[in-house]
Amino acid sequence: MNALQIKKKIGARALRSRIGKVQIPVALGMTLVWMLLFDAFRFRPETLGIAVLGFLVSVVIMMVFPLPPIVPGFRFWPLQGPYMVLYILGKMFAASIDVSAWVLRPGPPVKSSVVAVRMRTDSDLIMVCVAIATSIIPGSVIVEAAQPGRILYVHVLGAQNDEEAAEAKQGIYELEERIARGIGTRENIAELEAALAAERRNA
Amino acid sequence: MSEQVVQVLDWAGIVCILAGALLSFIAGIGLLRFPDLLSRMHAASKPQVLGLLLVLVGIGFRLLPVEESGVFSLGTLFLVGLFQVVTVPVAGHIVARVGYRTGRIRRDLVSTDELADRLATRGSASDPSEDTVS
Repeated sequence: MNALQIKKKIGARALRSRIGKVQIPVALGMTLVWMLLFDAFRFRPETLGIAVLGFLVSVVIMMVFPLPPIVPGFRFWPLQGPYMVLYILGKMFAASIDVSAWVLRPGPPVKSSVVAVRMRTDSDLIMVCVAIATSIIPGSVIVEAAQPGRILYVHVLGAQNDEEAAEAKQGIYELEERIARGIGTRENIAELEAALAAERRNA
Repeated sequence: MSEQVVQVLDWAGIVCILAGALLSFIAGIGLLRFPDLLSRMHAASKPQVLGLLLVLVGIGFRLLPVEESGVFSLGTLFLVGLFQVVTVPVAGHIVARVGYRTGRIRRDLVSTDELADRLATRGSASDPSEDTVS
C-alpha cells in the first residue's frame, strides 16, 4: 500500500465520521428555515429544487461545523405542544400588561426579588427552553444558570415580599411543566410526575 | 378576496401595529423611569419583544391580501419573529449576569435574594465541584 492509498483511506474515514455527525431532524429544521427564506411554500415549479438544495446545504453545514447531539432528545406532543405555545403567548400578554402598569405607576421605584428555581427534569434542552420562555415573558430575567444542580436564578420584577417571590417561583415551575409535557421525552415526563407526586405527599 | 375581507384585515393589521408601537413606547418610558440595571432590562427587552411580534402580525395582516408580495413574505416575517425570540434571552442573560456579578444592582430594591446566599456560601467553602456555566 503506498502513501497515497493510506491518505485516501484516512480521508474516507474522516468523511464517514463527519457524515455520522449529521442529525436528520436538525437538518430537516434547517431545510424548513431555508425554504422560508426562499418563499418556497407558495407552489412554484422550483419548489422541489429549493427543498433538495436546502437539505444538501444543511448537511454540508453540519459536516463542516459538527455539533454534539441533543442528548436526551425530544419529541413533539401533538396536543400538549401547541398548548405550550399558547400558554407562553398568553403569559406574555398578561405579563406585558403587568410590566406596563409597573412602568406607568407613579411613586417610588418598584422592588424585585431573585429566586432560585431547581429544575425537576434532567434535560439540558428543557432547561434551555424554560430559560428562553422565562426571558421572553416580561417581568423575569435569568441572572444565573447553574448547570450541575440545574438551578435557574431568576430576577422577578415586582415581587416585593416573600409570598410574591414564592408565587413567581410557582409560575416558573408551571412553565417547566408545560414545556416538559409539550416537548419532553417520556422519561422527562415521568421525572416530572414523580416530582409532582412527591410534592403532593409533602403538602 | 372580497373588498370587505380586505378591509377587516386592514383594520386588524392597523390595531396590531398600533398596539405594538404602544408597547415599545411604554418600554422606552420604563427605560427612563426604572432606577437600576436589572429593572431596566425588564423594560428594555420585554414589552419590546411582544411589541415587535404584534407589529409583525400587523404587517402580516396587511400582506395577506396582496397576491404577489415579492421577496418579503409571511415566511420572512415568521423568521424575523423566531430569531428575535431565540436571541433576545441570550443577550439579556449575559447583561444580567455581568451586572449582578459586578455589583451593579441596588440592594435596597431587592427584597429576597436567593442567589446572594449561594454565592456567599460558595465563596467561603470554595467548593470546586459546583461551578457555573452560562
